[in-house]
Amino acid sequence: MRKDTGQPRRKKVLTFEKGELIIKQGDYGISIYKILSGKVKIFRTYNGVEVPLATLEPGSIIGEMAFLNKDADVRSASARAMEDTELEVFHPIDLVEKYAKTSAVLKIIIDQALSRLLRINRFMDQLAVRSGEEISHQKEDPWSSTREFYRKEVDIVCQYKPAYRGKGSSTLLTGRIKDISMSGMCLEVPPGNESAIGHEVGKSFHIDVVLPNGKELNVTAEIVSVKKQPGNVRLGMQFKELPDYYGAKKTLGFFLMPT
Amino acid sequence: MDPALHSYIAEETTCSDGEVIIEEGSRGSWIYVILEGSAKVKKRTPKGMVTIDILREGEVFGEMVFLEGGKSPRSASVIAAEGQARIGLLDTQKLIDDYEAVPSELKTLIRSLMLKLRNTTSKVCSIIVAK
Repeated sequence: MRKDTGQPRRKKVLTFEKGELIIKQGDYGISIYKILSGKVKIFRTYNGVEVPLATLEPGSIIGEMAFLNKDADVRSASARAMEDTELEVFHPIDLVEKYAKTSAVLKIIIDQALSRLLRINRFMDQLAVRSGEEISHQKEDPWSSTREFYRKEVDIVCQYKPAYRGKGSSTLLTGRIKDISMSGMCLEVPPGNESAIGHEVGKSFHIDVVLPNGKELNVTAEIVSVKKQPGNVRLGMQFKELPDYYGAKKTLGFFLMPT
Repeated sequence: MDPALHSYIAEETTCSDGEVIIEEGSRGSWIYVILEGSAKVKKRTPKGMVTIDILREGEVFGEMVFLEGGKSPRSASVIAAEGQARIGLLDTQKLIDDYEAVPSELKTLIRSLMLKLRNTTSKVCSIIVAK
């Protein structure tokens, strides 16, 4: 990066070489840039995976989000020069004073739009999660993370079988999933299933289901509650670690998006 | 709700479940706020309507066209959900006066934010459809 001193006062131009990082996600900063020439990639890094958000061309603004965000002056995404790029730097101090004078209602509206954009960007992280070595070493359990997913009411027929070896372990049973979330599901089964195989708290089952969106989901879940009702038994089930951890999470994530 | 925002409500209307408040592609630059109930933000895709967001009480919507300068068509539909929704319509004249007082450098930043919101929304929508 080199400073160009040949510009008129107050108009500061910076030059970045192809591949150079302009803004790093998580860094503090409220400087704002306008692309004069070149091309800039905006991306987020999530669980070690690069999530591309946009490619910006001359005329585009970078960095306004951290500036407009009253709650944080941390960069929500990174920006990298994809070609040799020239940027004009705005003077954030002048702008801070001007923005302070802006109408309260406009600021509320802008704040809300900004949080919506940040929310969508985080959701893009979710969409980009894929099974792969680069993220499999992560310690954090995504199944228990408090992401913005909902418990969805459904009525889907599924097949399930015990997750343990032994008597009756190859028996295929049928039940109905009544609701499902990122962490578990409610499985309704006919009382007859219980007489074939024990359905006590602590027992685990492999569940195989085709979701209404056509995607197949294979999960292992443990019974955490049993509620007997006239005509059926409702099992509260919690998902356990899976071989296809990220694949299942992704499938379920898509399905659980609010509709 | 913030009292300042509340003081900008010019009109109130009640929408029944499924009623279209904003139609994607239509013209208009009114800004609304949800007073009660909720609404879904939906976009048309080759595979049908996709819900991209759910708006709840106190949330403002329809701001993109206004803050971009009022020329683009509506980028998404907003449809009342969960029974009845009470919607407030913000006073356009007050908003125009406020917006005109904003210095041009700040307008550039606001327009940039709106553009990102518009592009990101389309992108997320196409990713959902592609899956």
